[in-house]
Amino acid sequence: MIPGIPIEVRRRFETPARIVALVCGVIIAASAYLPWAYGSDALDDVTYLGGPSFIQFIALGMGLVLAGLCVCSMRWPRGFGRIRIGWIRGARSLGVGLLVAFAVILAAISVELGGTINIVYGGWIGFAAALIAFVATRFLIPEGRPNLNRLGTPGWLSILAIAGVMLVMLFVAYYALDQSNPGTFVTFLVYVGVGVAVLLRTGALGWLTAATSVHRRVMLLAAFVVAFLFPFTQGGSDANMSIAAQVLIFAATAMGLNIVVGLAGLLDLGYIAFLGSGAFVAAMLSGTAMATLDIHPPFPVTMLISGCVAATLGLVIGSPTLRVSGDYLAIITLAFGEIFRLSMNNLDGTDGPDLTHGSRGISDTGELSLFGFNFGQTHTVAGLEIGRFANYYFLLLLWLVVVILIFTRLNNSRIGRGWIAIREDEKAAEAMGVNVFGLKLFAFASGAFLAGVAGAIKAHVDISVTPDSYVFLQSSFLLAAVVLGGMGTVLGVLIGATLLQLMPEKLRFVNEYRLMFFGLLLVIMMRFRPEGIIASERRQLEFHDEDEELAERLDEGNVDASRGAVAVEGAAR
Amino acid sequence: MIVVQALVDGLSLGALYALIAVGYTVVYGIIQLINFAHGEIFMIGAFGAMTVWLLVPGQQLAWWMLPIMLVGGMVSSVAIALVMERVAYRPLRNSPRLAPLITAIGVSVFLQEFVRLFYVRIPGFPDAKANVPFPAIQGVTGTAIRVGGLDIDRPTIFTLVALIVCTVFLYFFVNKSRTGRAMQATSQDPDTARLMGINVDRIIMIAFAVGAVLAAVAGTAQGLMNTNINFKMGFIAGLKAFSAAVLGGIGNIWGALVGGLVIGVLESLATQVLPHGSAWKDVWAFVVLILILVFRPQGLLGARVVDRA
Repeated sequence: MIPGIPIEVRRRFETPARIVALVCGVIIAASAYLPWAYGSDALDDVTYLGGPSFIQFIALGMGLVLAGLCVCSMRWPRGFGRIRIGWIRGARSLGVGLLVAFAVILAAISVELGGTINIVYGGWIGFAAALIAFVATRFLIPEGRPNLNRLGTPGWLSILAIAGVMLVMLFVAYYALDQSNPGTFVTFLVYVGVGVAVLLRTGALGWLTAATSVHRRVMLLAAFVVAFLFPFTQGGSDANMSIAAQVLIFAATAMGLNIVVGLAGLLDLGYIAFLGSGAFVAAMLSGTAMATLDIHPPFPVTMLISGCVAATLGLVIGSPTLRVSGDYLAIITLAFGEIFRLSMNNLDGTDGPDLTHGSRGISDTGELSLFGFNFGQTHTVAGLEIGRFANYYFLLLLWLVVVILIFTRLNNSRIGRGWIAIREDEKAAEAMGVNVFGLKLFAFASGAFLAGVAGAIKAHVDISVTPDSYVFLQSSFLLAAVVLGGMGTVLGVLIGATLLQLMPEKLRFVNEYRLMFFGLLLVIMMRFRPEGIIASERRQLEFHDEDEELAERLDEGNVDASRGAVAVEGAAR
Repeated sequence: MIVVQALVDGLSLGALYALIAVGYTVVYGIIQLINFAHGEIFMIGAFGAMTVWLLVPGQQLAWWMLPIMLVGGMVSSVAIALVMERVAYRPLRNSPRLAPLITAIGVSVFLQEFVRLFYVRIPGFPDAKANVPFPAIQGVTGTAIRVGGLDIDRPTIFTLVALIVCTVFLYFFVNKSRTGRAMQATSQDPDTARLMGINVDRIIMIAFAVGAVLAAVAGTAQGLMNTNINFKMGFIAGLKAFSAAVLGGIGNIWGALVGGLVIGVLESLATQVLPHGSAWKDVWAFVVLILILVFRPQGLLGARVVDRA
């Protein structure tokens, strides 16, 4: 990508560079004990001498890791036996990461306190050390690709690893949602990104994926348990839970779109219409004073009806897929989304039958009540208060699990392989006897069904349903979640949906600019990493077909069953 | 009478769509890319014309402002279109189909937001978050001309004249000039064209520029017609113009012109003749788009068989 330093120069300076990087790591760690800013309002109060704040503690840890990587690379340059570890690779990405982190930290301090004058010597020392460490790590020569995933792992250790990963994830979610200071939030996100990058480059992430994929069920169960426990960390506060509920709705919908776009390769730009139709149907059937239909079945039935209405719409819009493909299909779905929005606006009693109250929408859908459990009230479980949004959160979580199960089962079935065949080469698939038309229709219908049910729940979470919430921009957000996260993967889409929904909530100060950044992000992502944050290796090859090494590894089959395997550095080249 | 009036109104609307549709079709004909952000180029053209008008002191409304504004609109839209091609699309030329389409959505959102947020930052400029009143240039706005019981709006005349001028220009450019013939060659077979010594990159840039010039004319016409412009005007107009391009047979310039006129007349008829027409007119436009794509994807004049995955 960017031309590096010539290899001869690197050979000459490698040892001094390693020592410089080591020293810088120690300095960064030490700088955590110095004050970074004059005012306590910046970040999480980084003004103390000798008392690091949480943000500083992480910097301390990263500095020590950098030093440790340098030491290890001198002590065990060839790894252990046949196992190679990417010490230098990790150090190099840590060099970049620390520089970015310190740049963000200094920027946050200057913005929040007004001017660089508020940065105290500790911050400058840390930044200088990070800068020197970055330059020094550029001189290091990365070793071969790490193969920690070949390391045999005893069962108890992989279970322990799963538990560890889950705890870290719970903490990350808890801490990130808890931050009201945008600087701290961004810095924390950068830290998380750097941490993941270092794990990836050293090969530790490969080991984690290998170790956890053996116990996939345990992993899924653990993830579910952690997500289930999340509301209990909130101490009865519903503010974060409302965000979390929106994240889950968004994620469940994006997962449905993932079937259509990620698996079957049919670009759908009007997907929000399915969520919207589910929401409107549920609102019309809700039985409140605002509901327009005089039928109010119990909620499980409403959910089914919403899903079926959406699926029917999916069939209607999917039926042209027999004749058109590619870009034309995208435009048809886009036009369909617009028709949906306009129709919902027009079914107001003057220009059509009164079903939706037009642009005002159905402003009261009532609270859900299932088996005597009222979702609108606060409940107390084991001394902990569970508020309204937390109730809906549990319901949504349950639905998300169902969606993920459906997705993975479909993906691993004959149907899923048919979809992938269609995506890769429709004509060849047809020649091989894949029922192209049926499978395409099924992709549309099943994706729409999932979105419709999610919409039914969303109608009650939001209380009101208006056509304005189901516009093209929302469709493109959903598509972006799928594309940025990694098409066809579960984890990637979850991450993408979470990031896209969480960012605007937490970064109120850039709220005004968030759409602009979103547009820019799409362009940059397509340019530099079109396969998404987490890419299935098959998909990655599609975007980097000149990458012989990746192709060979895929051929060898040593990527095994890890469909959601975390992308290796194909894109870095 | 209503029907004839609707026809006249439809022609002006259609001329607008036709001017935008050429931009889609020219680019598609050469690199098979649906430049989703072309609607935004149209919007930028309108804002460019507006900007020039604001920059000339004294709030001039005389007729000679019109060509100056047109040039201003063209310069801004062409500049943005070329930057967009260079930065966003060119690096993706050989990537899978999905990538440029998603990039186009990104560019589209970015340009809209850019205008919305930053137009007001220029000192003395109006806030683009609301509708921006477009200058009523003398001669091309004002009271409608009555001809035998028909009301013909003055912007309508301007738009139709602009369409005719642009068509003539396009005809000579495409058929007579070296560049135009190089463009035709490139759209038929880019590889062979390159072997024949045609600079394909340059031709692609010219295709984007030609589309942008016509879009700027359309943007100015839209401003005169609606008396105001806003940052969202490109989305729906762009979508309908795309329908027009497909209707005429995408890749075919003359098809885009015919398709634009047909779509405009249809929309106008639907608005004025069908019950509740004004509320549902966009719905009809999109229904027509879907029907065309499904039943005649090669369009009215298109000989091109759409066969792509």
